Amino acid sequence: MTLAVHIHRLATRDHTLVQDLRFEVAPGRILTLMGPSGSGKSSVLAAIAGTLHSVTEGSEALRFDGAVTLDGRDLTRLPTAQRGIGLLFQDDLLFAHMTVAENLLFAVPAGPKRERLAAVAQALDEAGLAGFGARDPATLSGGQRARVALMRALLARPRALLLDEPFSKLDAALRDQFRAFVFDHLRDSGVPAVLVTHDAADVADPSLVVELGRAG
Amino acid sequence: MRLSSNVSRRHLGAGALLALAAVPVLWTALEALKTGSHPAAWRALAQDPALTHAALLTLWTGLASTLLAWWGAAALLARGFVRQRLARLLRGLPVMLATPHAALAIGFLFLLAPSGWLLRALSPWLTGFDSPPPWATTQDPWGLGLIAALVIKEIPFLLWTAATQLQRDDVRQRWRAEHALAQTLGYAPRRAFWLVLWPQLASRLRWPLLAVLAYGLTVVDMALVIGPATPPTLAVLAWQWLQDADPATYAQGAATGVLLALMVLACSALWLASQQLHRRALAHGHGVRGPVERTPGSGIGLWLLLGVYAAVLLALAVGSVSGVWAFPAVWPQSFTTVAWEQVAQSSGTVLTTLWLAAGSSAVALVWSVAWLELAPRRWDDAMRPLLYLPLVLPAVLWVVGLYGVGLQLRLEGQVSGLLIAHTLMVLPYVLLSLSPAYLGFDPRYAQLNASLGRSGGAFLLRVKWPLLKRALASATAVGFAVSVAQYLPTLYLGAGRFASVTTEAVTLASGGQRSLTSAYAGLQLALPVLAFALAAWLGRPRRFTHSAA
Repeated sequence: MTLAVHIHRLATRDHTLVQDLRFEVAPGRILTLMGPSGSGKSSVLAAIAGTLHSVTEGSEALRFDGAVTLDGRDLTRLPTAQRGIGLLFQDDLLFAHMTVAENLLFAVPAGPKRERLAAVAQALDEAGLAGFGARDPATLSGGQRARVALMRALLARPRALLLDEPFSKLDAALRDQFRAFVFDHLRDSGVPAVLVTHDAADVADPSLVVELGRAG
Repeated sequence: MRLSSNVSRRHLGAGALLALAAVPVLWTALEALKTGSHPAAWRALAQDPALTHAALLTLWTGLASTLLAWWGAAALLARGFVRQRLARLLRGLPVMLATPHAALAIGFLFLLAPSGWLLRALSPWLTGFDSPPPWATTQDPWGLGLIAALVIKEIPFLLWTAATQLQRDDVRQRWRAEHALAQTLGYAPRRAFWLVLWPQLASRLRWPLLAVLAYGLTVVDMALVIGPATPPTLAVLAWQWLQDADPATYAQGAATGVLLALMVLACSALWLASQQLHRRALAHGHGVRGPVERTPGSGIGLWLLLGVYAAVLLALAVGSVSGVWAFPAVWPQSFTTVAWEQVAQSSGTVLTTLWLAAGSSAVALVWSVAWLELAPRRWDDAMRPLLYLPLVLPAVLWVVGLYGVGLQLRLEGQVSGLLIAHTLMVLPYVLLSLSPAYLGFDPRYAQLNASLGRSGGAFLLRVKWPLLKRALASATAVGFAVSVAQYLPTLYLGAGRFASVTTEAVTLASGGQRSLTSAYAGLQLALPVLAFALAAWLGRPRRFTHSAA
């Protein structure tokens, strides 16, 4: 499962944000997309996931000209729900009206109830949160919430995963821990991943770095 | 030192405000309960042959209208949110919201009645009728006309209360992001809305929904105009008994009011319990992602809603200037301004309506702002049920209490009594509509202001209120509209000495004077619409003369 992205042009009506960006990510690899704020990193992710339209409501609409393919299959015209591309937002965005377990269960594909619940229990276990299932997400610490958010994204069995500065809201000590946690899980899951950050310490794989916001 | 005295001064202010609102509300409620709890009256009520049928009719019209309004509003919101057309959905809302219940019912009457526009448009070419058929299309014994009118009236109210939530920046951005997230997990946009956003929105609409339910179960003015007549709903029955000079019958009417309150309570509990069950069943969603294809052409709901309001408006406008208008003719044969001349001659009615509405909404606004500014959040949360009591208590019961208090204080038939009665009714609506924006105001602005060395007063006048002016203006307009639409309080506390456009319109609706009824109903509609237009103008965002290059 290889993710190939070609952005010919990503622009508002009169301002080009990103031009001629091309990259490929192989299964289990993590590409890091770097750049200062305003360089369009998050917008590139939104273009890949197909959420440009819904996230930029209110501000100026972005137009995306290019192609996103997964193993040669063109996703560009598909709605977000059918792309199979997971997105981990800067905020954990745990649903406030669901328990921790329900948040996870929400992501598990349809199937026999017992198997779905088992998948949730295993995810909680892996996140070191066994026994936290019935909790209100608001009662969890920032680090715990971040882990739940990652497990939720993975439980949907995405074919590729995008991460939008997932470490930026954590303090330094948690950051290292959570970074290792994320990288381990991504490599295990065997999906291609794109990580956006402005912090060089977050680079997952020095051989796979793309810098935005630099001419040429 | 200074800080603690500041805090205690705030508490003192909030306490005074609370007393100002809570004492009359509690007193009125207790007075009403006292009048409505005579054992003899309850015995008489229990033996009344009309009771069972009226109670069943009340349950049917109240629950059916609430369910349909809730479902309709939810469907419109889902569509508007998923297609990102909420702004368009909300554009026509002020006019619909401002339309008083009675005016809508009267307009509906002129559309649906056997001699109404609908049948005129189809006669005689389709129906073959040369004279109005003897059908019970408006005061039908099943209450269908009442249900339809209630649904049409309550959908805009629910949409608007939802909009006050969705227009909060913090909430909207978060929900947009959650909606996008659910889609990255594979959920179709509509299903993502129902599973993720609707449960969160629905729980914030609990109070407005209970108000709709209570209103549907206890409505009098609309039911008088368009509801079933023999037998009527329980609220109309209570109203008829309360008109009686015999104290025993009056007490029976008051007891019926208490019974209605108990029914509201029971239905609310039932509603909340079933909503809870439904949400629990939905919370898991079984992982089904839903079909991604768009359901085509279901935008008809919004057009239907807008169409009904436009037809009502037109029916009232044409009706008010109609002279001779024989049955199958679609347009009147002659036009006349007699009705409007009559309205102009009784300008006291319009003036009474205006000062009552302006006075009560202004007082309610000042109180609400002061309360939201001073009261600790804990107090506010705890006191909301009490402050919202007038919303959920049946109007027939509420006026019994008002009347009793009015008599004791000799306020009955007085300007001050009428103003207090209206303000108590207007206050919960103003508070309800102002709270989301006011409480959602970013507290960091205040800290920033203090760090710049500016006083708290300057902050309110120069920063907070200007930024909130749209919410302040529209909350006042809501209050104005609520006051204009008041029927029973005006009737009871006015003691026959004050008439408003609403009492005139409802009284006239049962007679045969189409043009005068239309004129008053039209006026009843026009006044709040003008108030909303004024609010929109006052609340418009600042236009900067230098735009970005």
